[in-house]
Amino acid sequence: MKNGPVRIWVGTRKGAYRVDGTTARRRWTVNGPFDVGSDVFHVAPDPRHPGVVYSAVNNGWWGPTLRRSKNWGKTWKELPLPGMLPIKQRSPPVEAPSATAPIKNLWHIEPGHPSEPGTVFLGIDPGMLFRSDDGGDSWTGVEGINDHPTREQWGPGAGGLCTHTILIDPETPKRMYVGISAAGSFRSDDGGEHWKPVNRGVETPFQPVKYPELGQCVHKMAFDAEDSSKLFRQDHGGIYVTRDRGESWSRIGKPLEDDFGFVVATSPTLPGDAFFAPLRGESRTTLGKQLQLYRWQGATKTWKPLVRKGTYPGEFGTHREGLAADGLDPAGIYFGTTTGQLFVSPNAGKEWIEVPYQFPGIHSVEVSDGRPVGGS
Amino acid sequence: MLRVYVPKTSLRSEATSIESLLDDLEERYPRLRRRIRDETRRVRPFVKVFVNGAEVRDGAREALRLAPDDHVDILHSIQGG
Repeated sequence: MKNGPVRIWVGTRKGAYRVDGTTARRRWTVNGPFDVGSDVFHVAPDPRHPGVVYSAVNNGWWGPTLRRSKNWGKTWKELPLPGMLPIKQRSPPVEAPSATAPIKNLWHIEPGHPSEPGTVFLGIDPGMLFRSDDGGDSWTGVEGINDHPTREQWGPGAGGLCTHTILIDPETPKRMYVGISAAGSFRSDDGGEHWKPVNRGVETPFQPVKYPELGQCVHKMAFDAEDSSKLFRQDHGGIYVTRDRGESWSRIGKPLEDDFGFVVATSPTLPGDAFFAPLRGESRTTLGKQLQLYRWQGATKTWKPLVRKGTYPGEFGTHREGLAADGLDPAGIYFGTTTGQLFVSPNAGKEWIEVPYQFPGIHSVEVSDGRPVGGS
Repeated sequence: MLRVYVPKTSLRSEATSIESLLDDLEERYPRLRRRIRDETRRVRPFVKVFVNGAEVRDGAREALRLAPDDHVDILHSIQGG
C-alpha cells in the first residue's frame, strides 16, 4: 500500500496549524491557524481513524474548549467537556469535575488502544484523567487516579497541576501510565481502576528528600519502540530509562552537559533509541548556544548530538509536547520551539530543515506519517 | 466579544438576581455555558458585570437584587496578550 501525505499538527500560543508534506519531508505547506488567538496545548491525530483529529484549546477569556475534526482539520466540532452534557441537553446545574476545582486547562488527548476504537483519554489541569468510549462525545472520570489516596501530596509545577502524559501499553491494553506535574508518574495494570506511583530512582532536586515515592516533576515519557516494559523519561531531575515498567529508573542523562528538559520522543523504526532536547536548567534553553537535540543510542549506551555545530545558533526553548518522531524509514523528527520555529529532520537527525513560517510560540507537535493503518 | 455566542446586543429578562440572569441567558443560549461562568458557576476572571453603569464584583453579586427596570451590562474584558 502507498503512503499517504505526512501531516504535522502544531499547537501554538495563538492557534493550531496543519503542515503538509510528502514522505520526502523536505517541502511543507502551512494550513491554519485554527482557533486563532487561543492557546492550543495539544493537537492529536487518531491513527485508528484517519482524518480524525482532536484539539485541546485553552483561552484565558473563554475557558477551555475541546474540538474534534473528522476531515483532517477542514472543519471542527466542539465536544462536551468532562462533566458536561451535550449542548442540546444541558440544564443547570452543570456537574463539575471537582466541586472546588474547575478545569484550568486541557493538556493532552490520547487515542486509546486499537482494540478499543472508540476510546480516547483526556488529561487536564487540575491533575485529572477522563475517558471517553464514544470518540469524545461523552466523558467519565478515571476515579482511580482522580481520587488517588496520595492526591493531597501532589503540588503544581510552573505549568500547573497538569496531566500531560498518557500512555497505553501497545502489548497489554489494560496497562497504562500517566505523568502529572508535579505528582510524578503512575501505572495502572487494570485499565485505570488502580494506580501505583512509579518513580523509584528519579531525583527531586527541588526538595530536601531526593528520592521520594512521588512528587517528581515528570515532564514527558515515551515507550521504547520495541519493548513496552521499557520507557524513557524526561524529568525535571534528569533523563531516565526503566526496563521494568517503571518499578525502577536509571539516570542516563548524566554524561550530558545538563539533562534538564521537557521532551522525549521515540520512533517505531529505531528500537532502543530515543530523542531528547536537553536544556540548560537555569535558562530553559538548548545546550551549546545553538539548536541542539540528542539521540540516545541504546545499543551502545551513548549520546549523539544531532545538529551540526553552528547550523542554527541561538537560544531555543521547548514545551513538553514540542517533539515528535514518525514511523517512516529513515525516521523523521519534528521539533517546535517556544519562539515559533518548526524544525524537521527527514533522516533521524542527519539533516535539518526549518519550515519557512514564523509560528507563534509552539506548545505541541504531533505527526500523522501517512502509513497505512495497521501497516509498518 | 460575547456576540460570538449571542446574536443580540440586548434582551429583556424577568430575572431578579445576577445568578438567575446568567441562568436565563445560558438557558436561552447554551453555547454561553462555561464562557461567562466556569463549571463551578463562578464568573470567569475577565467577565465584568455592571448594573446601571456600576461594576458589581465577585462577592457583591450574590446579595444584589435586580429591580424591573435595571440595566445590566455583561462585558468580556479582553486583557493581556
